[in-house]
Amino acid sequence: MKSLDPRVGRLPEIGEPGIIKPKVTLDQFGSFEVFVQPKEGRSFQHEGVVHAPNLELAYILAKETFTRRNTCFSVYVVETRDVFVSPLTDGTTNAYDLISDVASTGILTYEIYHLAKRGKQHVHAGQVSAGSPEEAMSEAKKKFNSKTIYNVWAIEVAKIRMTSSEEMDYWTTLPEKKFRDAADYKGGDKLKTFLEKSK
Amino acid sequence: MKDLPLKELLYKMADDLLILGHRNSEWTGFGPLLEEDIAFSSMAQDKVGQSLALYTILHELGEQAPDTVAFTRNANQFHNCVLVELPNQEYDFSLIRHFLFDTADSLRWESLTKSSYIPLAQLASKVKGELRYHTLHANTWIKQLGSATEESISRLQNSLNIELPYALGIFEESIYEKEIIESGVFPGEKILKAKWELKITEVISQTQLQLPNLDSITPKIGGRIGKHSEHLQPMLDEMSEVFRIDPTAEW
Repeated sequence: MKSLDPRVGRLPEIGEPGIIKPKVTLDQFGSFEVFVQPKEGRSFQHEGVVHAPNLELAYILAKETFTRRNTCFSVYVVETRDVFVSPLTDGTTNAYDLISDVASTGILTYEIYHLAKRGKQHVHAGQVSAGSPEEAMSEAKKKFNSKTIYNVWAIEVAKIRMTSSEEMDYWTTLPEKKFRDAADYKGGDKLKTFLEKSK
Repeated sequence: MKDLPLKELLYKMADDLLILGHRNSEWTGFGPLLEEDIAFSSMAQDKVGQSLALYTILHELGEQAPDTVAFTRNANQFHNCVLVELPNQEYDFSLIRHFLFDTADSLRWESLTKSSYIPLAQLASKVKGELRYHTLHANTWIKQLGSATEESISRLQNSLNIELPYALGIFEESIYEKEIIESGVFPGEKILKAKWELKITEVISQTQLQLPNLDSITPKIGGRIGKHSEHLQPMLDEMSEVFRIDPTAEW
């Protein structure tokens, strides 16, 4: 039985003399993009990536990895390959100027994200109806093109693991968990008191 | 005197949560995946937090302060079931314990949302979301690994077989069972066990794991009356180390 325990499975196998072969492909979990809505009424924004064996487990792991501190209203995840990205600009050109105008069949719903500043997160701009990511970006150009942005993302809604309405209570007790914030330990104050005392 | 059945219920719930919270926190830094390490540690914190809320209710009923109760009792004064004190082994053991215990725990809290004892009913409503996540986490991993590879299935099956007698010990009845049911505080361990059996059967039937006939298993009881395995006292000694050095320390 071949073990999948990382402590066993990651030990290099003893090989045949003289055999040269490529390193095995896909020896890690796939990646999933995580989007967080920090407060009710605020926009979703891209927070980062988790690795997981499937979409549901990605959701479960993302919930604690990205929403265990401060406040959270909702979170969703999508497989990295389901995020379609426009060309990235250097900031002098608007990303929407690099998107071709195409007619939309409008049969699917897409979430549109903008990168407004380099080094910041992609922030939710809104939804469009389209038949493909190319159509979605063209629709977004008509609907959300108001200022120069670096990059556009389009994600088909059906591919997303959303937080259902009954799951919204996951974060009810989160604001009380101040012990998860370093600031709550008032380390600076404690150090100051200690130094004063030892003078 | 009239509070004894209620206090007994609060103590066994709080002790279960404190001891399992501590056991699960021992995985911090050693989890099988970074993200899982974080999730499991967070849930361990939730459990310790829930135990604190219960010890606080007990304090309001005249018991000692939460820290005193948590850190100064000996093993034979703890009311937790033996399942939660067993030492961690491989991760499959902890996942099965998480699944078996948290299923029972969330059903217990769910029934307490209708408790005639209002502070407990309010607390039960408050922690609903935490429990929803804990059971989603447990059920999803069991379904995933219970149908994945020969290794994952046989590991889970082995842990399931070892832990079921202890899991049945969760439902060890109190000497106050009749009073607690009649007062409308809690519907009792028998009803809880029946609900638990339905729920774990539902999840396990979606995997390649086999659930043995529970009636053929002798439950490992005694935890509720302070009869524990040899593993609890060393764990308590370690848990209370800082408190015993300096009971007034703040950190």
